[in-house]
Amino acid sequence: MLTTKLRIGIVCPYGWDTPGGVQNHVRDLAEFLIASGHSVSVLAPAIDETKLPDYVVSAGKPISIPYNGAVARVLFGPIAYARVRQWIGSANFDLLHLHEPAIPSISLLACWAAEGPMVGTFHAAAKRQKVIFAIGPILEPAIEKLSARIAVSEAARLTLTDHLETDAIVVPNGIYAKRYSDGTAQGKWSGNTIGFIGRFEEPRKGLQVLVDALPIIARFAPDVKVFVAGPGDPKDFEKEIDPQLRDRFEFLGKISEQEKADFMSSVSIYVAPNTGGESFGIILAEALAGGACVVASDIPAFDSLLGGGTYGALFESENSTDLAKVIIDLLRDEEKRKELAIAGKRRAQLFDWEVVAQQIFSIYEMAMVGSKGVALGSDQRSWNRFLSRDEEKR
Amino acid sequence: MKTSFFLGFLLLLGIWYLTFSATRLDRLHHRVETSWANLDALLQKRAAIALEIAHSDLADPASSMLLTAAAYQARDADIKNRSMAESGLSGALGLIISDGLAHATVSEQALLQELSALTAKIRVAISIHTDAVSSTVMVRRKLVVKTFRLAGTAPLPVTYEFESDVL
Repeated sequence: MLTTKLRIGIVCPYGWDTPGGVQNHVRDLAEFLIASGHSVSVLAPAIDETKLPDYVVSAGKPISIPYNGAVARVLFGPIAYARVRQWIGSANFDLLHLHEPAIPSISLLACWAAEGPMVGTFHAAAKRQKVIFAIGPILEPAIEKLSARIAVSEAARLTLTDHLETDAIVVPNGIYAKRYSDGTAQGKWSGNTIGFIGRFEEPRKGLQVLVDALPIIARFAPDVKVFVAGPGDPKDFEKEIDPQLRDRFEFLGKISEQEKADFMSSVSIYVAPNTGGESFGIILAEALAGGACVVASDIPAFDSLLGGGTYGALFESENSTDLAKVIIDLLRDEEKRKELAIAGKRRAQLFDWEVVAQQIFSIYEMAMVGSKGVALGSDQRSWNRFLSRDEEKR
Repeated sequence: MKTSFFLGFLLLLGIWYLTFSATRLDRLHHRVETSWANLDALLQKRAAIALEIAHSDLADPASSMLLTAAAYQARDADIKNRSMAESGLSGALGLIISDGLAHATVSEQALLQELSALTAKIRVAISIHTDAVSSTVMVRRKLVVKTFRLAGTAPLPVTYEFESDVL
């Protein structure tokens, strides 16, 4: 399907060995492109340089800075800049794909250093931030070097138009839909069960909303059980839970991809009660692909992913009473659950890498029109031309 | 001594900023040209497909004439009238596609598929081009650029008002 073979350089701003949506996206994209025969090199910060896959080049150890309500592990500074320049200069890329180039990171440095076809993907959706507003004029000359901009969701696109006054093409995040579609229903997770996957210790993942809703749900569905999967220590959470309901919760810890698929096809309802800070909602797309009936908070990202309630039920964000009501209605109505799950599964095919990568690739093609590949640039190029007008002729 | 050193520094900074802005503008102009060339090529291709459709059995004689006229208009229009001509072509194509799909043969279906793939590409190309144009216009409005005539003799890029949703 993807015919011409390219040399693509992808820059990931966040530490490769820390979990995160952007890292997963970059990994999946790189592996998909390699599987279709392109040669790909990923530049990313890494804590442990010995455990990297062979297509990843380390840019050095990341440092932690607070960003968008979480701690981001990024990297910048003169040494990182030198490494970025070296990476660009040594590889002779046809195209660079920079992820999240608007935050201080190696993506921004690469955007600064390189000349030629560059595509930028913007992941974050955030409210207008004063910091970015202040450094906007500095970012502008760098960001406008990108030949094409991609936003992973409508929310991310709005963030971009708000902060940097440029538009972007919306291409959703990708998932391997097939990996989730062949899960087998497990008896231990079936019945009147509610599933949740995520780093539940982070308040914005909203597990607390579900905990608050459970007393009401338990009144109407006495045998309800909640399965929480994801890394973290459940001790602090268990203290918060009403002692009578504590045995309703089961913490599974981190689960594998195969278990995830089984989990999604087993539970009656998958809940995503996130309170914000979510740009696309990859886990929701995975849940849909796994054939789960999904209930999610009505934050913009989820609202658009679920088509305003067509592919999964929505409840008012942070309102545990509303969540309880929606869940109870669905637990009682098996027909409705099946209907949503089938519609959702069809919806999820739109986010399959086969579709998404094709969209990204056609943007690559557009960005590369009339170019001779990526080179190290100089912002003083007009001097060269002024002094000896040979640059263009050569 | 100290002030002259300071002034010299300021002067150097100013010169650096000027060359920086000139490079930036040069890059933007280049981008406008390449993105327009790309978009233009895609649109020409679309006009060619439209003519092919007009000559196929998909179109009845009346709509065939309409489509042929629109396609030639789109091909011949200069850059300022281009967007209107292309919108006209989109409209004519829309007419045929909406009632031609039902009785299309295999080869005609291939033609329509090619058209829809091309339309997706054009949509991306338009967004890339309008973006290049708007950033160029924004930079050219800056005071430094105007006072020092950094744009040289390059013409101000034409905003191509091609609405993507017309396609």
